[in-house]
Amino acid sequence: MDLWTYIPQLLASGITIGAIYALVALGFVTISRASQIINFAQGEFVMLGGIITFFLLKVVNLSYPFAALIAIVIVILIGFMMHVSVIYPLRKASVLILLMATLGASIFLSSTSGLIFGTLPKALPPFSSGSPLSIGGISVLPQSVWILLSTFVLLILLYLLSHRTLLGKAMEASSTDPLGADLLGISRNLMVFLAFGVSAGVGAVAGILITPIFFTSYSSGTILGLKGFIAAVLGGWGKNSGAILGGFVLGVAEALSLVFVPSGYKDAVAFVILLLILYFRPKGILGSPFIDSRRW
Amino acid sequence: MKTFKGRGFLFSFLVLIFVAWASPAHVAEKSPYKVGANLEFTGPWAEVTKTMKNAMVLEAERINKMGGIDGHPLELIFEDNGFDLNRAAANMTKFTKDKEIIAVVGPFEDNLQGTTRAIAEREKITNIIICPSNPMVRALKQKWAFNIAQSDIIVSQKLVDLSLARKYKKVLVFPAAIPLAKSLAEYYKQFGEAKGMKVIISKETHKPADIDTTPQLIKLKPIIEKEKVDAFYACTAGPPGPIVCRNLRTLGVKTPILGTHAFGFGFIIALGGEAMEGVEFGAGKPVVPDQLDENDPARPVILDFDKRMRERYGVGIDQIAGHAHDAISLIEDALKRCQGKVTRATFRDALENTKGFKNCHGIYNYSPTDHDGLSKKDMVFIRIEGGKFKRIRFPGFE
Repeated sequence: MDLWTYIPQLLASGITIGAIYALVALGFVTISRASQIINFAQGEFVMLGGIITFFLLKVVNLSYPFAALIAIVIVILIGFMMHVSVIYPLRKASVLILLMATLGASIFLSSTSGLIFGTLPKALPPFSSGSPLSIGGISVLPQSVWILLSTFVLLILLYLLSHRTLLGKAMEASSTDPLGADLLGISRNLMVFLAFGVSAGVGAVAGILITPIFFTSYSSGTILGLKGFIAAVLGGWGKNSGAILGGFVLGVAEALSLVFVPSGYKDAVAFVILLLILYFRPKGILGSPFIDSRRW
Repeated sequence: MKTFKGRGFLFSFLVLIFVAWASPAHVAEKSPYKVGANLEFTGPWAEVTKTMKNAMVLEAERINKMGGIDGHPLELIFEDNGFDLNRAAANMTKFTKDKEIIAVVGPFEDNLQGTTRAIAEREKITNIIICPSNPMVRALKQKWAFNIAQSDIIVSQKLVDLSLARKYKKVLVFPAAIPLAKSLAEYYKQFGEAKGMKVIISKETHKPADIDTTPQLIKLKPIIEKEKVDAFYACTAGPPGPIVCRNLRTLGVKTPILGTHAFGFGFIIALGGEAMEGVEFGAGKPVVPDQLDENDPARPVILDFDKRMRERYGVGIDQIAGHAHDAISLIEDALKRCQGKVTRATFRDALENTKGFKNCHGIYNYSPTDHDGLSKKDMVFIRIEGGKFKRIRFPGFE
């Protein structure tokens, strides 16, 4: 009987973390659509977003919105730099080598962050103060509402970018038909370069959104990156809508799993879901343009 | 071009000579006593161990400035174990191979300590460790391992005292899935129930790396409400402390929170913010250097060291700096009392005979049956109020 009373509260907590997984997954998908690379440094962008904002806010003493904005710009620049220094020189190498290179970049970014900003976890103040809201017996932090709203706005912006601007259409074209894009004179290297910027920016926003609730330390990018990757695979690798759906499904599934299994196995749940998806439906919930379903 | 290179070389050579001449090791002519430090300078505890290193260096400099120990300077050798079991073991083995090293301080993390203690036992070298608590290790009755932090037993006794003083009858314990937290929870239950309290240890646990404990707490909330517990004991260490407090307050639970001695660090308040208000725990005296009794034996030591820390590094003392100070001054004291020639064996015997030695964390008494040193009297009750640590007192419980 007790079991069912706390399900609404678990759902609320699952949706909050699900929004973050969705943003991380979206970063993965943006890059993989442009270049077929799995960028394992995606979690690091999230971590840097939170930690650089903290640094600008507490050490440099900028105002909160300004600090957040500058942090996003810095992380986007880091994304560009990562493309220029890691991906571009290896553009003729196989995807596997690029994957290794992004793993290296991820370790580099997290260690550097530990050296510069310190290894203790950081917490940002919430966007708006106030006690938890109580909605029908479920208590929700105002920050959770902020997370959901910002995620929603960001998704609309990304949709407009890819469907309503020439640049977005060029990015879309180079991912769906590389040869056709080449013939039309779209520089694919430039598109991959821009994709890194977009996904770094999305990652940084995710980092700034979660740091007030979940503390960010130099090493927290790894687990967030992994969860985002699982979410992207779960929803359908290579699809924006899949990444968003996958993020929310994973967040809710993880939270609800607590009803049935002890909390010690919480992290294992995500990986069990990944294995099950790879066994039975490797193209994910919404299907993936990259995975040939006929083989299964 | 060539002369320029030659000049650069000459210059760096002169600098090297100057550095070698100016270093404190040059002051005394007798051979130095070497102490190894096997700590986590990289990894999640990097900042905490940096404080330790600073404090140890400060103490060693004080000793050497005063002419060393019977003319022998004290030399510290730092090795980074990178939060890695293999490297911790390798460092420990390396230290034992250097015959001049008489003792090793560290590591910091619980599971690394188990290994270095075993090596210490085999190679017969003193291993001074901080924050150990694994009851399985204690049961081994190791001859060469000494603990300088408050043991899990006295921390639990102190917290039971706090609960009794606050008249808590029923307490729910939410332990972390680490040996330290598990033994703290068990001892709290054992001592608490001996005094007539009811202690419930939750089956839900959390990991040190968890960023969100809300799901576990949602499962515990009905228990808190149904059993009407008087207090919630967040039995954990490091960042999960403030995470648990925040998550609990987010869920709208108003029950008072009890913490462990690991809550007595500034960064815990910085992380937890408002959720930490009203959290109470027992901790070492360096948490509140300015709120100690006039006749407290640890007060002069703490105030003196606090002042020197501020002068040198700009930050005051905390529990970790206190442990580092205590480790070095206990070594100094034992070296002075060594019978005959200083060897690893005579040093160990001298350290085991430490009696009534006043230090930052209180009065140390080691004996062949007690390698934990401190007692319940060396802790104080702390309450977090207005973003600061405030000492609280209860008549009859201190």
